[in-house]
Amino acid sequence: MKYWNPYLETLPRESLTKIELSYFKNILSYAKTHSKLYQNKLKGIEPEAIKTLDDLKKIPLTEKEEMRHYQEMDPFPYGGLLGTDIERVTTFRQTSGTTGKPIYVPETYESWQWRIEAWCHILYMSGFRPHHRVFLPFVYNVYVAFWEGHYAAEKLGCELIPGGGLDTKGRIHKILEVKANAMMNTPTYGLHIAEEAKSLGIDPSSLGIERMLCAGEPMPEATRRKLEELFKCHVFDHIGGTEPCGWAGMCEVKEGMHIIEPFFLVEILDRETLQREVKEGETGVAVVTPLGRRSFPLIRFNTKDLVVKGSATCPCGRTSQKIKEVVGRIDDLRKVRGVLFSPKTVEEVIRRDFPQIEEFEIIVERRGLMDVITLRAEPHSELTVSSIEQTKNELQERLKIATNLTFNVIMEPPGSLPRYMLKAKRFKDLREEKP
Amino acid sequence: MNEQVREEIKKIEESALRLQALAKDNPAIVKNAEIILNFVYILKFITPEG
Repeated sequence: MKYWNPYLETLPRESLTKIELSYFKNILSYAKTHSKLYQNKLKGIEPEAIKTLDDLKKIPLTEKEEMRHYQEMDPFPYGGLLGTDIERVTTFRQTSGTTGKPIYVPETYESWQWRIEAWCHILYMSGFRPHHRVFLPFVYNVYVAFWEGHYAAEKLGCELIPGGGLDTKGRIHKILEVKANAMMNTPTYGLHIAEEAKSLGIDPSSLGIERMLCAGEPMPEATRRKLEELFKCHVFDHIGGTEPCGWAGMCEVKEGMHIIEPFFLVEILDRETLQREVKEGETGVAVVTPLGRRSFPLIRFNTKDLVVKGSATCPCGRTSQKIKEVVGRIDDLRKVRGVLFSPKTVEEVIRRDFPQIEEFEIIVERRGLMDVITLRAEPHSELTVSSIEQTKNELQERLKIATNLTFNVIMEPPGSLPRYMLKAKRFKDLREEKP
Repeated sequence: MNEQVREEIKKIEESALRLQALAKDNPAIVKNAEIILNFVYILKFITPEG
């Protein structure tokens, strides 16, 4: 079977819109009566007034800052964000807290299963099937990462190998020992496993991984292709978050990602006004409403994820709206010497054109009145002194073309830069004021 | 979506609710019926009228 839910995945657009509007009104009514945040926020807004997608603009966006404020209320620890009786909550999760105090997310058995059902779409369209023995190379904890993947894979009928509690070498040996043939990991950690395998004299492609689903950080196309090349497997991406759930995934065509409709109503709004839905090919901010999750109602949640809107047609036959590309987080976009800069561009250049670079780090600092942007690059150990110098010059040149910025490139000794398990922190803005 | 599918989901819901009423002094049956109702909620969600 090609689709997880052939009915939903091939519905005509007009039917999907009709269903999503109906679900939106339902969750709006529910939020107004069950969540303190929305009791206040939606005063004077009646669900009946929402007749078209255009009417959504009448409803204010939900921002993380106000969520933090409502979280401080009773009942502890979810406060005014809770959408159900606290005794129905079965699992606590939280956001990573990289942009401030973490948001605590309550799940009931029902909301968790709803979330898992949405995730089944992501895994199924990435080709995960019951014959897959899926290795999860992480310790699960208070973060949602990989819990969803675990339970969705279980629901699909895959066999799960939880690989936490081992170091990377131990995980590589376990993959070989149990003949795991699928994996879920961050792109960064996928690259790290490949590097470690090589250091053990093991070709990553001999690990036997057929499918890899990446999560946790934006993955440039060049990185996805590099992982495919290293592991000789199919690599897929998805996008999501702790608050809104995983809301889009990649199909076998591997061109952008399908929004999981009608689980999520996703608006892609222009980043200047957050009012206008962008056109196909334009970049905008993803605003997400999970349409059936009641433990933690979210209406028009501003994810701050910058995405390029794709088409609503795909050779795979799915009719859902697509995201062409994930550009990155608005929080990661910086003005450096007046130029808007995204760290993802650097990763794209390195992974595509510089296979001899193993790891890198970008540092922006202010020296006097000037912004200085530095790339610390770590080459493979087998590179000669002259080829290191040549790589340095080429890096400077290519990065200038790609970003319009002159980088101070420093070549570091092999193994000197940090390696990451989950979200990589390769970008450091050390300026006091971050324009 | 076939109307018959929605009808069957409705029957499961009614049956789970009856089960809860019949065995209200048995936490195991009540909880398992409640879990069935959680899945009924999802089944309804994934079978909307197009």
